[in-house]
Amino acid sequence: MNSQSQRRKNFKIEAFKHKVELDPKYAERTWKVLEHAIHEIYNNNASRLSFEELYRSAYNMVLHKYGDKLYTGLVATMTSHLNKIAKSIESAQGGLFLEKLNHKWADHNKALQMIRDILMYMDRSYVPTSHKTPVHELGLNLWRDHIIHSTNIQARLQDTLLDLIQRERTGDVINRGLMRNITKMLMDLGSSVYQDDFEKPFLDVSASFYSGESQQFIVCCDCGSYLKKAERRLNEEMERVSHYLDAKTEVKITSVVEREMIANHMQRLVHMDNSGLVNMLMDDKYDDLSRMYSLFKRVPEGLSTIRDVMTSYLRERGRVLVTDTERLKDPVEFVQCLLNEKDKHDKIISTAFNNDKTFQNALNSSFEYFINLNNRSPEFISLYLDDKLRKGLKGASEEEVEVVLDKVMMLFRYLQEKDVFEKYYKQHLAKRLLSGKTVSDDAERSMIVKLKTECGYQFTSKLEGMFTDMKTSEDTMLDFYAKQSAELGDGPTLAVQILTTGSWPTQPTAACNLPPEILTVCEKFRTYYLGTHSGRRLTWQTNMGTADIKATFGKGHKHELNVSTYQMCVLMLFNSADGLTYREIEQATEIPALDLKRCLQSLACVKGKNVLRKEPMSKDISEEDVFYFNDKFTSKFVKVKIGTVVAQKESEPEKQETRQRVEEDRKPQIEAAIVRIMKSRRVLDHNSIVAEVTKQLQLRFLPNPVVIKKRIESLIEREFLERDKADRKLYRYLA
Amino acid sequence: MMSKLGRGQKDKVQQFMAITGASEKVALQALKASDWHLEGAFDIFYSQPQIRAVTDTRHLEELYKRYRDPDVDMILVEGISLLCNDLQVDPQDIVMLVLSWHMKAATMCEFSRQEFIGGLQSLGVDSIPKLREKLPSLRNELRDEHKFREIYNFAFSWAREKGQKPLALDTALGMWRLLFSEKHWPLVEHWCQFLQVRHNKAISRDTWSQLLEFVKTIDPQLSNYDEEGAWPYLIDEFVEYLTENGIVPSRK
Repeated sequence: MNSQSQRRKNFKIEAFKHKVELDPKYAERTWKVLEHAIHEIYNNNASRLSFEELYRSAYNMVLHKYGDKLYTGLVATMTSHLNKIAKSIESAQGGLFLEKLNHKWADHNKALQMIRDILMYMDRSYVPTSHKTPVHELGLNLWRDHIIHSTNIQARLQDTLLDLIQRERTGDVINRGLMRNITKMLMDLGSSVYQDDFEKPFLDVSASFYSGESQQFIVCCDCGSYLKKAERRLNEEMERVSHYLDAKTEVKITSVVEREMIANHMQRLVHMDNSGLVNMLMDDKYDDLSRMYSLFKRVPEGLSTIRDVMTSYLRERGRVLVTDTERLKDPVEFVQCLLNEKDKHDKIISTAFNNDKTFQNALNSSFEYFINLNNRSPEFISLYLDDKLRKGLKGASEEEVEVVLDKVMMLFRYLQEKDVFEKYYKQHLAKRLLSGKTVSDDAERSMIVKLKTECGYQFTSKLEGMFTDMKTSEDTMLDFYAKQSAELGDGPTLAVQILTTGSWPTQPTAACNLPPEILTVCEKFRTYYLGTHSGRRLTWQTNMGTADIKATFGKGHKHELNVSTYQMCVLMLFNSADGLTYREIEQATEIPALDLKRCLQSLACVKGKNVLRKEPMSKDISEEDVFYFNDKFTSKFVKVKIGTVVAQKESEPEKQETRQRVEEDRKPQIEAAIVRIMKSRRVLDHNSIVAEVTKQLQLRFLPNPVVIKKRIESLIEREFLERDKADRKLYRYLA
Repeated sequence: MMSKLGRGQKDKVQQFMAITGASEKVALQALKASDWHLEGAFDIFYSQPQIRAVTDTRHLEELYKRYRDPDVDMILVEGISLLCNDLQVDPQDIVMLVLSWHMKAATMCEFSRQEFIGGLQSLGVDSIPKLREKLPSLRNELRDEHKFREIYNFAFSWAREKGQKPLALDTALGMWRLLFSEKHWPLVEHWCQFLQVRHNKAISRDTWSQLLEFVKTIDPQLSNYDEEGAWPYLIDEFVEYLTENGIVPSRK
């Protein structure tokens, strides 16, 4: 060898020059060796083989271009073994079938591994160049073709697997480990094998199983129980997958269960008599509702089905509530019911429906719908607040007050006619302030802040003005008495509240004849006030005042009566007469008829407050009645309250009047909106104006399109707008 | 006449006549009115084709004197009555409305001097016979779509009481009956009845002018009436009234 000489020069590696000649007979012999080895491997006799020798044999065969022979030989050998194995599996009885298959599969894999190792050189060089399947994969394919897809095994395998699952579904315990191995085997053979040989039939069979089961359940179960069962089955299937099926099957089997047990029966479940969604809602069945929500969430249209049924249920329930004439007799009760409804359903949504926003929205839209069905809702909500602020919240902590006010604000937001509410709130607030009957100033102010945040400064500026007037009046009275104490002497004590017109609700003032003692001191006040505030005008609001009178009844019983100004005027007449007819009283006081009748009724017809006696003793006041001072009046209280200046539900004619005033107030607001819009847009078509105006005013009320049209025409007449000459549907702003 | 003109002016007259083909008299009129500016004179000439006929101002003054009220420098009711008599025309005849329109009369039942003389001048007439001859063509103007609209809208301000913005209902009803017998509208009586029963107040200008559009575009059976059509609310109510009373087919 030249190595020595080469060592001195450059180090070069050369190919084997020593060629080993392989004649065909040698190839055949080598193959036989390998063939024998494969047999031994399959017969579990591999330990006696020499890996190195076998590897070299295979290597030589490939090297000398006998790769074909090796490969085809391999195929044939493996195939014949597999056929034998197939027969052995087929012969297994009953439960042993699957076990045998599993066992043989494990063996096959071991064998395959060894064979592959031996033939590795072929795998790496011959196989790629001749585009043959690599050994391992070949082994799997052959297993697939000769075992799994063999006529006697294929169907039996599928049936066995499905049968076991069926048994497990009906309560039996099965060998899950074995199942897992089998399904894993199928996956190893290729996902299409798993799908075609197992998964698809599994899903079909499951579908008919659950279809059947759901039909069964639905006739004998109530909704809650059915849903429990469905949930259980769903969990079972998921567990099944995690234990012995491929992970990708999970979503497929769950959608089968969802479809068969839930989607196909949605309507029937939701509308089930006595146990469906509506019953659950009525009875606050949080668990059932929560279950329904999470199950229905899985299927298309599931949640929207629940939502739609809930919405129509709420709307109907609400509609019944707001049109129930019995309940409408007590406005405070009415609003309390609304609040209770809201609380109840809020709780359901947060507990059972996962605070789902779409459900919240459905709740809001339902409330908005039915609250506005009754056009007295704004009035009633204000009366509720009045009740709370006058006495209901007495002794409540600051947090409790906030909670109540916030809840009422939620109802307020649903009102379409917020301007009607404003009108009533103003009236009621005025009465509370003037009669000094408010639970807490802080609560009142807190309410105003909430309204301001919701509706803006304009909504509350007048209300705030009312508070200011009260404070200023206090200061004025102190000053008045400080300066005038000498002159006033023994006269009646006056407490004046000076109200700025415009901030306070306008009432048409009908003056009445005040008793002379009162008149004197009032005039003194007027002089004083106008002395310090020139250019102002004072008008006594006799329909809003109160008075405390000391009265002495028979047997010397003294009482202090708290009455309205009108009542005072009437009572003072009895200082100079024991009995008076209705007409005499009317003439002397000049109080308007409706008010006078109400006033006399409260003085003569109410048990425990009848400081006057009426003949005849009927409940109603007629113009022929005669009134006497009731000497025999008694009361266990020293101070008796007979005043009627408390906010109450309006009578029909009063309601009509208020509504008319609201309509009148809306006209300028609509016009202002139109002018604002046209000023910025310059040219706009009719429908767009209507839409824009509605949008701008919706925080206060919903404008009527006909009224908008009339306002536009009025603005045209006054030359603020004109119609476009070419397109009569277009309006132009005239600067 | 020509002899009193300066050289430059004579040239202009010649030029004018050559270009427009008008007579010397007309040329002089136009040039005088435009203060001897040729361009201005062309403008005047071409914008007033009626002035091809020359009116004699003296005749017009005479005519005015005939009808004018003895105490006020206006033609009042009696004068108009006389005028109608001379023209052999009923004072209620719609042609008087057309005539008033030409005169740009401010208020019905009176003509100012300017209105009377200016109006007749614009018509190119200066005598009663000539005016009488013109009457048929005035009547014809009502057939013209554009002119009818102008006359119709003119009638609103003309028929109004002085100092009032809207038109009194009775007057409006009368005018409508008059106008819509010329341009036939089958619903005019229903409209008038509806207004008396349901509205009973004066009519705004917008309602007045929009009514004509309504008459022109919407067929009497209301098949193409559109609630979203931005019609004045009175017209919307009228449609309701017709439907309620079965005068037109139900709209549902």
